Amino acid sequence: MFVRTKNIKLSAIKQMELLASKIPDVVSLAQGIPSFDTPEIIKKAAVKALNRGVVAKYSLTYGLPELRETIEQKLAEENMYYDFEKEIIATAGSIEAITAALIAIIESYETKSRKIKNEVILFSPSYASYPEAIKVAGGQPVFVNLTEDKGWQIDLKNLAKKITNRTAAIIICNPNNPTGTIFPKEDLLKIAELVWKRKIFIICDEVYKDFIYADERGSETNLEADQRGSAFFSLAQIPQLRKIVIRVFSLSKAYAMTGWRIGFLHSDEENVSEIVKVHDSLVTCAPVISQYAAMAALDFADKEIEEFRQKYQERRDLICQHLDDLPELFSYQKPQGSYFVFPKIIQYKEVRPHKINRQFREVEPPKIKSTSWNFAIDLLNKAQVAVVPGLAFGPSGEGHIRMSFGRSEKDINEAMKRIKNYFTNDYYL
Amino acid sequence: MTTIFKQIIQFFLKWFAKVYLWRIKPHIIVIAGTTGRHWIKETVRDALKEKNFPVRVNKKNFNAEIGLPLSILDLASGEPRKLNSVELRGEGRFWRWLDILWQAAKRAFRSKPPVLKEFLVLEMAIDRPEGISYLLSIVKPQTLILTTITMIYAENFENLDEIALEYKKLIKALPWNGLAILNFDDERVKNLAESSDKRVISYGFSKEADFQVKNVRKVSDGQKLEISVNQRSNQRQSASIKLNRFGNHHVYAALVKEIIKESFKISAPDFFRQIRG
Repeated sequence: MFVRTKNIKLSAIKQMELLASKIPDVVSLAQGIPSFDTPEIIKKAAVKALNRGVVAKYSLTYGLPELRETIEQKLAEENMYYDFEKEIIATAGSIEAITAALIAIIESYETKSRKIKNEVILFSPSYASYPEAIKVAGGQPVFVNLTEDKGWQIDLKNLAKKITNRTAAIIICNPNNPTGTIFPKEDLLKIAELVWKRKIFIICDEVYKDFIYADERGSETNLEADQRGSAFFSLAQIPQLRKIVIRVFSLSKAYAMTGWRIGFLHSDEENVSEIVKVHDSLVTCAPVISQYAAMAALDFADKEIEEFRQKYQERRDLICQHLDDLPELFSYQKPQGSYFVFPKIIQYKEVRPHKINRQFREVEPPKIKSTSWNFAIDLLNKAQVAVVPGLAFGPSGEGHIRMSFGRSEKDINEAMKRIKNYFTNDYYL
Repeated sequence: MTTIFKQIIQFFLKWFAKVYLWRIKPHIIVIAGTTGRHWIKETVRDALKEKNFPVRVNKKNFNAEIGLPLSILDLASGEPRKLNSVELRGEGRFWRWLDILWQAAKRAFRSKPPVLKEFLVLEMAIDRPEGISYLLSIVKPQTLILTTITMIYAENFENLDEIALEYKKLIKALPWNGLAILNFDDERVKNLAESSDKRVISYGFSKEADFQVKNVRKVSDGQKLEISVNQRSNQRQSASIKLNRFGNHHVYAALVKEIIKESFKISAPDFFRQIRG
């Protein structure tokens, strides 16, 4: 029974949130939710669609044509050229898009002449839900560690070693969650070169591409960078790679729309015509009211994104200042993008399991001994601060924690104050 | 915006736009239909720019009751401006709209006609019956490009034929020397040509189209295609082109671009001298 799902776990992010919800006065830097509400202009468009009576029915499986046409326009502004009729699917957020793509790509039946392609390479640390999505699709996650002392960049030699005849795809989260790293164009092109002739897909998850901070490109805004051509690079911009690149984007983070469950996927028609079959069987179509909201977002909310980006940059600097006050406890790489920081725990005395509160034992602990897990649980227990243990993001994430600065300045200050108290008061002893 | 407030704004914007058009007298190209307007607008702009005509197009999707006059007046509703140190942003803010009306009045009454008269390329979109009549009360096209008639935004219409009747009004509104550029792959659009007494140039994959596309091939970085032009004298000229975009809507846009280049061959000053008679 449950052969496929028994080894699939609820992600550690969700587990921490679940635990945090049971504790009064908790401050959570765990889940990657923006502190902002969805911009007014987007909400108005949704209300207008609701009042027009156009949201109660399914849309086409691919999504509303007018939304896909808007997506095509938006992509063209970023030098990505895809046909809205056949190459773009509106999805229920990015994780549905990734899962649908993986189900379409991963092979399940082995023949005598050919081994199945069921391995998916992902970088460690990277987004915690990828391994589970791969398992849901019947695949096998294969981790390639990022190099921490080189700013969490890709070790291309190590990656090349992990590519085999069984490799079906590589997932690249760029900017990377949880490290905030932006992978350089040269490295991305080298990855493409490695897989180019082997029909291995590259799934590009670029949900944080709008949050790249000024020290990366002076004081330029996203819009100015786009105009100057110095903007963020995506492999989907290279037409010759469109048959192997599947790009995923979500409006959740950029437009503060996590609850709307809306995103999109695009690739060559040959790939999209297969992925849409899975999308149809999973969700039929993305929520129609959210599709109308997405149209307004893409058309009219550029200024709001820029405001969010500036705010997140201030918050990144704030959380980094707090971490700078604790050099004997944490070391960290300053994130270039996204809204996460991934500090390494330098000084921490392990808590013996019997000292952990009973209710915390209800959650499923990792099978291996994990400092980051014990620290996160103990911090939540004693300081009422929720963070995500680094192990959740892959083996090389162990010994780190992920903190979100998508939360308000007040939450960041309070959480960091409690963390300082936690260490100075020897709560953990 | 409350309904009354919206109606007041709409009323003033309409009249400021009319005053502007009366004073500046640009050549109006309207792009209508339910799909593909954006791409055709872009290529029409490119074609006219290649000929060195001064040209202005709708901003984003400003194509209906409020957006259209804003486009004519070259104003945007979403851009933040500072007025008395208060940042004004987005729809629904009273002061923001007062400011827009003030800007609109200035544009209407103070704009000086450019040395070379401009082409104004406007998308028109409707989502209810009589929508076109209202938009035509603001601006009448001299050239009309009609794409397709589909069920998008059609919830307020009985059927597609009712939408076609709306677009028929646009063809009727053309002046005696006006031009209708029609997509012959859409049966309803094609039928509109039969009842038109204006000059029509057709385009599409259809063999009956004046500008016919053939042999579309997808290549790794775009599409290759052949455009064949029916010369009325039963001779056909053809040319091969390559697009760096994917999808039939770009093929249609490429056809319209060729039609525009063909139709406005003369120089900008000569063209406007001809219009003035």
